[in-house]
Amino acid sequence: MSAARAGWTGRLKLGPIWLAAPALAFIAVFLVLPMLRLIGLSMQDADTAAFTLSHYQKLADTPVYMRILGITFRISALTALFSVLLGYPLASWLAAMPDDKRNKWLFLVLLPFWTSYLVKTFAWMIMLGDKGLINSILTGTGMAEDSVSLMYNELGVIIGMVHAMMPLAILTMVPVMANVDKRLSLAAGSMGARRSQRFWLIEFPLTMPGVAAGGLLTFITSLGFFIVPAYLGGRGETMLAQIIIVQVQQLVNWAFAAVLSVMLVVAALLSIWLYDRFFGLSTLTSASSAGGKTHGQWLRALGQKTLAGLAWLTSPFDRLGGREDGRQPIKFAYVLVIFFFLLAPAMIVVPLAFTSDRALTFPPPGFSMRWFQTYFDSAIWISATIRSFGVAFATAFAATVLGGFAALALARSDSRYSRVIFGLMLAPMIVPRIVIAVGLFYLMAQIGLVASNIGLIIGHTLLAIPFTFIAIGAVLKGYDWQLDDAASTLGAGRITVLRLITLPLLRGGIIAAALFAFVTSFDELTIALFISGGLKSTLPKQMWDDMYLQLNPTLAAVSVVILVIVTLMLVAAQRVQKS
Amino acid sequence: MTKKNKMALDRRTVLATGAAALATPMLGRRANAQVSELTVADPGGPFTQGYRKAFYDPFAEETGIEIVSVARDAEPTAQFKSIVETGTYIWDVCTLTLSARLILENEDLLDPLNLDPALTGDMMPEAVHPNFLGIDVYSTVFGYNTEAVQKPPSNWAEYWDVENFPGRRALRKNPIDTLEQALMADGVAPEDLYPLDVDRAFAKLDEIKDDIAVWWTGGAQTSQLLQSGEVDMTSGWNARLQAAIDSGAPAKIVWNQGLYSIEGWGLPKGGPKGDAAREFVAFCSRPEQQALFTDDLSYGPTNLKAYDYIDAERAKVLTTAPENLAGMRIADEAWWEENRAEMTERFNIWLLT
Repeated sequence: MSAARAGWTGRLKLGPIWLAAPALAFIAVFLVLPMLRLIGLSMQDADTAAFTLSHYQKLADTPVYMRILGITFRISALTALFSVLLGYPLASWLAAMPDDKRNKWLFLVLLPFWTSYLVKTFAWMIMLGDKGLINSILTGTGMAEDSVSLMYNELGVIIGMVHAMMPLAILTMVPVMANVDKRLSLAAGSMGARRSQRFWLIEFPLTMPGVAAGGLLTFITSLGFFIVPAYLGGRGETMLAQIIIVQVQQLVNWAFAAVLSVMLVVAALLSIWLYDRFFGLSTLTSASSAGGKTHGQWLRALGQKTLAGLAWLTSPFDRLGGREDGRQPIKFAYVLVIFFFLLAPAMIVVPLAFTSDRALTFPPPGFSMRWFQTYFDSAIWISATIRSFGVAFATAFAATVLGGFAALALARSDSRYSRVIFGLMLAPMIVPRIVIAVGLFYLMAQIGLVASNIGLIIGHTLLAIPFTFIAIGAVLKGYDWQLDDAASTLGAGRITVLRLITLPLLRGGIIAAALFAFVTSFDELTIALFISGGLKSTLPKQMWDDMYLQLNPTLAAVSVVILVIVTLMLVAAQRVQKS
Repeated sequence: MTKKNKMALDRRTVLATGAAALATPMLGRRANAQVSELTVADPGGPFTQGYRKAFYDPFAEETGIEIVSVARDAEPTAQFKSIVETGTYIWDVCTLTLSARLILENEDLLDPLNLDPALTGDMMPEAVHPNFLGIDVYSTVFGYNTEAVQKPPSNWAEYWDVENFPGRRALRKNPIDTLEQALMADGVAPEDLYPLDVDRAFAKLDEIKDDIAVWWTGGAQTSQLLQSGEVDMTSGWNARLQAAIDSGAPAKIVWNQGLYSIEGWGLPKGGPKGDAAREFVAFCSRPEQQALFTDDLSYGPTNLKAYDYIDAERAKVLTTAPENLAGMRIADEAWWEENRAEMTERFNIWLLT
């Protein structure tokens, strides 16, 4: 923060960098402040409050924490890799569509997002279990003699996490891909480049900002996961967030929880730095690195060679990729498979909502509406639903405005503080939610915002800002600023340019950002656990409470209700947009 | 939305106060006479249902003090701590486990209950503390699938014996209870468990490490494990296993060598409605009230006199029914409070190596 402040006094001129000020102030108050307090805790003796490094000593003395950090990194990296890799063809398929058609398909990509984390995870348990759906099919058809271990191991965790993260990767990649000028590829083709060469040497490098953003986003988000590894993992899949939660909630050892949080944050920052070094993240939001030029050149040369090599390697498959009439049967089949993967849990959850059974057995033994009855008869469920929607709408608005202006600021400014600002904007994503929640609870309690809707909105906005920042930043990357300049030379003021030129052109990115923010809030549990104080329950909080003892199909019914309402909402939003 | 809620609350409060004024002009008026409402944090779900029937509604009827229940987090110690330290009393009364009680007591975050000893005469002695009144008893036991398991184990030694008692097994991914189970499997009698011989426990765990198909982390998971047939036997909290049985899973609970513990009420230190809260807690010691929650919860009441009001068939699935209680012992929270951090660390290392 001190660097940023020095910047404000040093540069009194109202540069574009000032557009980031509201978001930065928000993050400073609601994230940096509580975090500083936690860091203070990590260096304090629990009894005497004297300065001590003994908590950090423990970290050095016990290798298990480094090991868990390693596992966390490995699982997150694999999740990011598969989310981007498997999501890439789907994203490019979507990017090639006209806008309105794409939005319809994007809804399907988003669909798993609208299903609560908890419910999704249990749907995977039903599918992947030893006596689960997939194994029943495998053994039933004789494809496998014995059950295959699909979960309670690393595979299960990766499946659950890739499923949760792939929509994020796709949504980040699509806007960038859609902005790629297709004529470049056509031009290369007309000059004799083969299909594989066109892809690896033209299209792929141009979509790199999206790939980098998607990879980084999924990687960092994955670092803080705890529900999926807890339920789908086995003996060896313990992630750092789980350990932090145990320290806070069970051992009430806030000092060591703070130490572990600091370790996670430092490790995440380090990986961002490395990522930046090797993949040139700086191109993402124009937080340009001045010194990396020479470094970048030989790396770029190396990258170019690699891509050329890939083009050569894949050239024998050129004919498989698609016919010259533009039809791509293999790609389409692949897209269907990925959609199936994304929608599978929802396909489990919907029938379960209509089960006549008291347990979540699949397939349901009979049809019944009793679980919907339970939901609609319950004042608690209904009030939680209304609150969740209200909070999510407010969050979507606040986070899009704050994150959007910050992205604009960084895209338009070459300030030397860009890097610091960039880091701060991503900070809410890097700090595990449980840590944010605990820190916020303290702050909110002091200003009387616990158990208030405003408190929930603030907490959720904080979590959503990085998503809106990156989503809008990614489209800004491919934005042609000369259009703005052109408008200015024609006499348009700054506001007019923003309103009539910039915003309409960025509409896709802004809508994506608002949807991200909405979803983040809608499915948020950790902050709600603390801030709601039990009095202002949101839907995930209510689901969590309800499944404390037993999983019953009311949860599935609630998920279906959410799906229907959100679908109607999105359709309405599209209608409004068109008219 | 906020406005609507407030109105609903106001209406309820008005109705309650009105009804109370008509019905019971005398009772309960002495403590915090101005208090018309208490906020009680319970574990939610069926707990809320059971407690409302047993305690919340009858208490409101008797005293005119309406109970607003909120669901708390599974381990509310951190929240509890923040509530007291920041003076934001969003809860007046909260359910705590014995281990949470100990942690909070050590940090001096609990108010005394000043219970009349006459009220607690029939209660299990472990349930009565100066700052805590135990209400329900839960137990860590194991359950097995009656269709898949031909020869069910009857104690932990047999649970460990994968040769003679075949079947897919699960254990909890947590040292608590699991270490005790390992020691009992190694022949330690329940009464001799504490202080735990940790090296011996881990050595015994080594034997079964590769035969555990699932390490469960949440209670709802154990219901699902039994329900879906994912495993043939699993350790678990009795109510979670019972939930699977209630919804039709072919399963049975083995009470022998179970470890029980107690959940009950605690008051955040210095709360503004302390007197009314204490009155509520005292109300919850009554056996006839406690008997009522057993309709919804398969946990045992702490006031053993409650069994006078409980159906014999229902008593069979309750932890504190005499025949179930006989083979069990209480988990030693003091030992765990002392060693939990270290054991958690060691258990994590053990899991990963």
